[in-house]
Amino acid sequence: MSSARPRRAMHDARRPWGLWGLRGAVVSYLVLMIVVPLLAVFQRGFSGGLRAFARELANPIAFDALKLTVLTAAITAAVNLVMGTLTAYALTRYEFPGRSVLDRLVDMPFAIPTLVTGVMLVVLYGPTGVLGGWLEARHISVIFAKPGIVLALLFVTYPFVIRTVQPVLLEAERAEEEAAFTIGASKWTNFRLIVLPTIFPAAASGALLSFARSLGEFGSIVVIAGNIPRRTLTVPVHIYGQVEAHNERGASAMSIVLLALSFGLLWILDWRQHRKRSS
Amino acid sequence: MGRDRLRRAPIFLALLLLLGSLAPSGCRREEAPGKTGAPAKSVTLILGAYTTPREVYGKAILPAFQKEWQQKTGQTVEFRESYQGSGAQSRAIIGGFEADVAALSLEGDIDRIAEAGLITHDWKAKPHGGMVSDSIVVLAVRQGNPKKVLDWPDLTKPGLNVLTPDPKTSGGAQWNVNAIYGAALRGFAGVPKDDPVAAKEFLKSVLRNVSIMDKGARESITTFEKGVGDVAITYENEIFIGRQAGQAYDEVVPRSTILIENPAALIDKYVDRHGVRVVAEAFVEFLHGPQAQKAYAQYGLRPVDETVAKESGTKLPAVEDLWKIDYLGGWKKVAQELYGPDGIYTQAFTELGSKR
Repeated sequence: MSSARPRRAMHDARRPWGLWGLRGAVVSYLVLMIVVPLLAVFQRGFSGGLRAFARELANPIAFDALKLTVLTAAITAAVNLVMGTLTAYALTRYEFPGRSVLDRLVDMPFAIPTLVTGVMLVVLYGPTGVLGGWLEARHISVIFAKPGIVLALLFVTYPFVIRTVQPVLLEAERAEEEAAFTIGASKWTNFRLIVLPTIFPAAASGALLSFARSLGEFGSIVVIAGNIPRRTLTVPVHIYGQVEAHNERGASAMSIVLLALSFGLLWILDWRQHRKRSS
Repeated sequence: MGRDRLRRAPIFLALLLLLGSLAPSGCRREEAPGKTGAPAKSVTLILGAYTTPREVYGKAILPAFQKEWQQKTGQTVEFRESYQGSGAQSRAIIGGFEADVAALSLEGDIDRIAEAGLITHDWKAKPHGGMVSDSIVVLAVRQGNPKKVLDWPDLTKPGLNVLTPDPKTSGGAQWNVNAIYGAALRGFAGVPKDDPVAAKEFLKSVLRNVSIMDKGARESITTFEKGVGDVAITYENEIFIGRQAGQAYDEVVPRSTILIENPAALIDKYVDRHGVRVVAEAFVEFLHGPQAQKAYAQYGLRPVDETVAKESGTKLPAVEDLWKIDYLGGWKKVAQELYGPDGIYTQAFTELGSKR
């Protein structure tokens, strides 16, 4: 870092305008695209004062929706943390037939409208579907119940952990891993002691990304959840209902809570990594 | 420095994604290009409608009007059509979607446009109180009615799986809840007549059996068609359309139900801005005329025109006790007393709790 500074200063002195122009453009873009809409949400959410804001959240339907949303997002993030890390490891460290096809499939959920994801899952798990018929015979309800919500979220957030961990694994020095092998460490020991510490920060930030993404998921959930207040109604669907019922303040208040949750978590992660690095 | 920034990248990405996913619930606005001066040979009308009558407008009424207007004036009418949920359409029009004519699911959605100052005439002074089509709330059951659902009280049977769209996300779905509550109040649901407490308890016991509330009426019946649920509370015309599409389910008409009335109105501000008042007025008139009324009937809606209604009356079942929204005090009162923050419907779900 110390070696980088004087070089950049020289660079600045030579072409200050280009750099300032770029910075200005980037900052204005950020303000225009993110900060202004956010401010509008905050302004609307707090338009009735703090008491009205609190009243929106104290409503049992809204509160239960929040609990359900956080719970399902947390489960999704946890599953992604484990499965995503393993998938990324398998995709980068092993050679097997069909690997490149698999690697390309990982991104598919990004390209499918989430509404379609919901409809697809209903067809698959509905009573007339192959899987659904089998489940129904055993009285297991997946769709229009909480498991269905997690199922949809897992599909939608599938790539997050994989795609944050993969580049770290690809760049990681193989020397340590090879050394561990040479002195007879098992694959699992090697993964646990050498690989995991390297990739954990990336995996955690991927899991948090999927948590944040899950909090706001609407398209697939509205189709698959059943949307019964206090049972299967999630915050985004509740927000949609509030918008439709012309309660924009309530909708904004709930959005602020979601924003605060994911922002807070990402901030904590950032702070922890920062501390770890400086110590 | 550079590393620091790279490390922060996922955080910005996450925020971006979160915002992106919130966007659909926050800001939906349909934009229609503004009209550029109408040449005498052709004129463009913008229709903002709800989703249910998409087929009847697109396939029957609009072509018929185009033909009639062409013969009468030599002018070609071009239609730009937009169909979305009634409440969303109403908001879009207020927000600047410059529809010349609005055809929506319920009165309140037109009232809101009028309150925003875009409709300046008394639209309810038109024939039939501004309404162009009717329907009724009915029940769809599986073929042969295996669960023996014959009327409202049967919906409270333990273990029955009932579908109805979400009244919070779909204004049109409020017709269904109104029908249950009103029928109970009128003494047709096995609870004492004119007893609001008993009627609320009845509504609660029906809602206890509701397992899925889809976003809108069409989505709800589509879920039912996928084999989910024992009963779907829906509209007569939805069953009609479903059957035409080859779906096999039975219709049960409750002894007491609400008459659904769908309004259409010309939007003064936009019509004058586009200079299309004459043709827009003629179009609204046309909706009340025999040709359009017959078309509504062909697509399973009940015509408001009595002569046409009589002609097609054989197809639609009679209802023992048919009542209108006025019985519950009109839409304004219902919006507060049923669906408001402390409304009966909201309370019912709050009281039902998370375990049922």
